[in-house]
Amino acid sequence: MTSITPVDNVPNNLFPLADSRSLRNYISELWERREFAFVVPIFDARIQNMDSVLGQIWHLLNPLLMVGIYYVIFGPLLDIQRGENYLGFLVVGVLLFQLTQRIVQEAALVVRRNEALIRSVQFPRGLLPISAVTGQTFAFLPAIAVLFSFMLITQEWPTAKWLLFPLVFIAQLLISGGLAFAVARIGFAFADLSQILPHAFRMLFYLSGILFSIDDFVHNPTVRSLFALNPLYDIITAARWTLMGTPLHSSVVVGLIAWAIVLPVVGLLFFRSGEARYGS
Amino acid sequence: MTGPVSLIANDVHVTFRVYEDGPSALKQAFSNRKWKRTHRTIHAVRGVSFSLHEGETLGIIGSNGSGKSTLLSALTGLTPLDRGTIHAADRPRLLGVGAALRPALSGYRNIIIGGLAMGMRKQEIESRMADIVAFAELEEFIDLPMRTYSSGMRARLTFAIATTEIPRILLIDEALAVGDARFKERSAQRLETIRNAAGSVILVSHDVNEIQRSCDRALWLEKGTVRAEGPVEETIEQYLSATSLP
Repeated sequence: MTSITPVDNVPNNLFPLADSRSLRNYISELWERREFAFVVPIFDARIQNMDSVLGQIWHLLNPLLMVGIYYVIFGPLLDIQRGENYLGFLVVGVLLFQLTQRIVQEAALVVRRNEALIRSVQFPRGLLPISAVTGQTFAFLPAIAVLFSFMLITQEWPTAKWLLFPLVFIAQLLISGGLAFAVARIGFAFADLSQILPHAFRMLFYLSGILFSIDDFVHNPTVRSLFALNPLYDIITAARWTLMGTPLHSSVVVGLIAWAIVLPVVGLLFFRSGEARYGS
Repeated sequence: MTGPVSLIANDVHVTFRVYEDGPSALKQAFSNRKWKRTHRTIHAVRGVSFSLHEGETLGIIGSNGSGKSTLLSALTGLTPLDRGTIHAADRPRLLGVGAALRPALSGYRNIIIGGLAMGMRKQEIESRMADIVAFAELEEFIDLPMRTYSSGMRARLTFAIATTEIPRILLIDEALAVGDARFKERSAQRLETIRNAAGSVILVSHDVNEIQRSCDRALWLEKGTVRAEGPVEETIEQYLSATSLP
């Protein structure tokens, strides 16, 4: 016979499991577990490099090759020498764009890739998109060295504005993180997203003024301020201003700050509202 | 009974959707004019109620597909309930860090990953490293990639990581079945330590011997409902007589 223990009155030292954490608890739990996002991506990077001959050196070679190809094609070959320092102009655009693209593409896969972990361990899932940001940022550090070397090679000497570059970079990480949260949830529900993303980024690449300065083509100030709606255009234009003193419109500054505040908040809320479904 | 109640499950129902993988989904969609993928709703756990006490090991037994694993995953809070409630003194921890581990990396690095996934600090993990390695008996192999380990070595490592911090409620899903006699004995000792520290354990298995060896009470789950619950011997007897071949 079945003899089920009566469960009518629950002792008050027990709490309901389904009780979802408040946003505040969620964020503080993310913070408590931050080491996961800093250690695990570094370990995973080891795995990726284990079978390759050049290993970690690729993090340096990749950005160099990328910039080299663009430079040969658009520099000497097509002779589109715009502005004084086209090489420097190109390096900042190409490299910073690549960081955000890599973070977002990684984030699109992160929930599905960690399905087994999600099913067996209780942790705030927001750690996964955050790990995509930290992991890709670590991998990007050699590219930052490349970026600054090219500034010096092209005789772009340090000015006081260089001190503002870290702020632009932090804004870029906040923007990329916000996108990573959003894309992580969409990529979980809709696996085809990772097929679409490369095309979306190709499109965005041409709208971010990476190969040509948008200012050279767009003279109408209203249309120009529309470009400020593209966060990547804001990041790259502001970064060029800090490093090379290229022109900077106020709409870009407003856009950069606004996206850096709005995207992480909206992204986190959007990601978290799908929290219970991840892994199922 | 043993100590005070540490977990109460009340009328727990869990359903999930499974998408059907029929012959050519696109072709079917055209012929049926139904653009949504067909799915089945599986009612895996149907109104399960039980309680768990401090210092107690509850065995859940049942044949394959009886809803044991689904119930266990509901107990971690990982699977949303359809109906019913689960109250607990602390969030139950599934002995499942195995999923976080990376076969290509060394045992040492995997201990750090596993610990971090469970919410420990890196410093804390490093200070307990020697104990974990000693319990897993992997001293000579700790710097080798985990994929070179035998299944027994892997089970020892997972168990050692999951039980470094004594959990208040530990859930185990047939994890002890792997490993040799010596490891079984050592893991039974570790469970004893957990119980002595007023922790409770839920052990899910279809291996009757394992339930007999380590549990104080047993619950027999069949087709998502509780068929019997009580002393281990009696419950197992009912289970065996109902499921044995004529």
